[in-house]
Amino acid sequence: MKALLRRVLPASLAARTALFLVLALMAVQAAGLTIHALDRVDLQRAATEREMSARTFALWRAMSVTSPERRSSILAELELPSGLEASVDDEPAVRMGMLPAPPPVLRMIRPEILLGGPPRLRPREIQAGMRFTTLYVSMRLPEGTQWLNLQIHIPPMRPWHSETFLAAFVLMTAMAALLIIWATRRLTRPVSDLAKAANALGRDVNAPPLPEDGPREVATAARAFNTMAERIRRFVGDRTQMLAAIGHDLRTPITRLKLRAEFMEDDEQRAKMLADLEEMEAMVTATLAFARDDAAAEPSVPLDLAALCRTVLDEAADARPDAAPEAFSYQGPERLTVRGRPIALKRALANLVANAANYGSAARVTLLQPQVGQIQLRIDDDGPGIPDDSHDAVFQPFRRLEGSRNRETGGVGLGLPIARNILRAHGGDVTLQNRPGGGLTAVVTLPA
Amino acid sequence: MEPAPHILVVDDDREIRELLARFLEKQGFRVTTAREAREARRVWPLGRYHIVILDLMMPGESGLDFARWLRSQSDVPIVMLTAMGEETDRIVGLELGADDYVAKPFNPRELLARIRAVMRRAHGEGQRRDPLPSAIRFGGWTLEPQRRRLLNPDGAEVSLTGGEYELLTVLVERPNRVLTRDMLMDLLRGRQAGPFDRAIDVAVSRLRRKLEDDGRNPSLIKTVRGGGYVLAADVERAA
Repeated sequence: MKALLRRVLPASLAARTALFLVLALMAVQAAGLTIHALDRVDLQRAATEREMSARTFALWRAMSVTSPERRSSILAELELPSGLEASVDDEPAVRMGMLPAPPPVLRMIRPEILLGGPPRLRPREIQAGMRFTTLYVSMRLPEGTQWLNLQIHIPPMRPWHSETFLAAFVLMTAMAALLIIWATRRLTRPVSDLAKAANALGRDVNAPPLPEDGPREVATAARAFNTMAERIRRFVGDRTQMLAAIGHDLRTPITRLKLRAEFMEDDEQRAKMLADLEEMEAMVTATLAFARDDAAAEPSVPLDLAALCRTVLDEAADARPDAAPEAFSYQGPERLTVRGRPIALKRALANLVANAANYGSAARVTLLQPQVGQIQLRIDDDGPGIPDDSHDAVFQPFRRLEGSRNRETGGVGLGLPIARNILRAHGGDVTLQNRPGGGLTAVVTLPA
Repeated sequence: MEPAPHILVVDDDREIRELLARFLEKQGFRVTTAREAREARRVWPLGRYHIVILDLMMPGESGLDFARWLRSQSDVPIVMLTAMGEETDRIVGLELGADDYVAKPFNPRELLARIRAVMRRAHGEGQRRDPLPSAIRFGGWTLEPQRRRLLNPDGAEVSLTGGEYELLTVLVERPNRVLTRDMLMDLLRGRQAGPFDRAIDVAVSRLRRKLEDDGRNPSLIKTVRGGGYVLAADVERAA
């Protein structure tokens, strides 16, 4: 039952509301129109009654004052309304076995008026009976030999049988349905707006606020949402500012230490100290890059992704003069234009290439032609890969896999999170997968 | 013998100021220091400085404002000390006519190399130092020195390594002139502080690829028999 309901029910709130409203309206309309039709039938019946009783009375009068031999000719000259037939016979038309006429039907001929006249004009006997929808009335004329026989066809009561009923129903329903659909769409739009805004907030903390207008409940919800977004913004801002402040404040002491190192007598110790300081600097740089909201600061421009890959690879190769030149290769189109933030994208790719080179001793980049609105870029290395259950963990900030904590290759554990943040801000993503033949592949996607 | 070059160091951190002064004096420079822009303005007329090292982030008047003022006074080479990776500061600084920038925390030896390079360039070009042009167009491509970027004929940004960028700058500044490998090496070492130890040929072939110039039949950067290269294109500069 529930499953059936779910299948029949439309998915959207607007469509559901509209459906329920239209169904309810149809029921109300059918009831209203029926009441109206029954009223009309009543009215019709009253009119028929009045006419029939007047005619019957007139006929009776005409027949009762005429001599018996002239009755038939006069009757033939009279114009009778449809549904009424009259004849003068020696026998009553009402037969045995006919059903008795129910009182409301009998009211059509108003026997009380006929019987209430002066005695010489009073029918001597009235018989009445029904066969199907025809009322037979036989009245014995005053002189006593002849009968006036009336056949009254009672029109069937069919309240729904008018053509206007259906037309009115369809027209009114259609108009009301249009109105309902328009209104429900309008009323439920704030709900979808809210969903859109929540999605946008998930991607970009600085997404524009919802307009706080419309009906009171909608305005309240929008205000509540904006307040929540503001709080999140402040929270993220505070955290970012804190990290940035720490990073920023560390720069001065590192600069001082680097200068101080220049005055050290022991060359070996100086070189080691400078190396330590470089490492500290790299950590501060990475932390700052992670904390800072680069996406907001850097404008999105068209850029050549193929050239960007080459630059990143060349710089990685230059920084590792001992590595084999074949370890860094590019395969793909000569030119592929995408929209993006050049510095941020370069940092993301450089982080992935550096990871491949540091842990996998090679970085082979393959840029695939865009398909169904998506660009795919693969970075293969020759390393041992990573355990399957760590594929997502390595994207958490400051997370490094066991065994990579030595300082030679260790890093801070921000390379992958930064790369993923940047790519997601571009509407893309990066995932890691072990290749069956060995080695790790970073799969980067970007919207074309 | 020429007197030792005189350097004005403007930085708000006392320790850095003093250490930098000691370091540079050890390298054979004369050094005057200033705590902030106001003090720098005061000492500016007292000496004939060959180069100014300017911290961008200072309390009171910012380094950018001071650089603007300094530019209105003199052509003295300026090396800016910027916060790491603050792109906008860097771009504005270069637009204002700073000659180079070094990100804090800097390696003292790298700073020294930059100082020497900037000074050599300033003297080599006989003190005639135009502000960086906003755009240099050649063969459909656009180099934007102030923003340090290259746009392809479609207007898409083409990323360059530091070496490629320097090589391209050297080439577009001397269009249709044959530059031997030795000349290129000299010119590049003058501006480039980082390692540029790969052969010039490798750099040229990488740059050709970026410029979509067919290496076997190049039309933009042509190889000259006898060991040299020439940028064969009309160059148009926009201020």
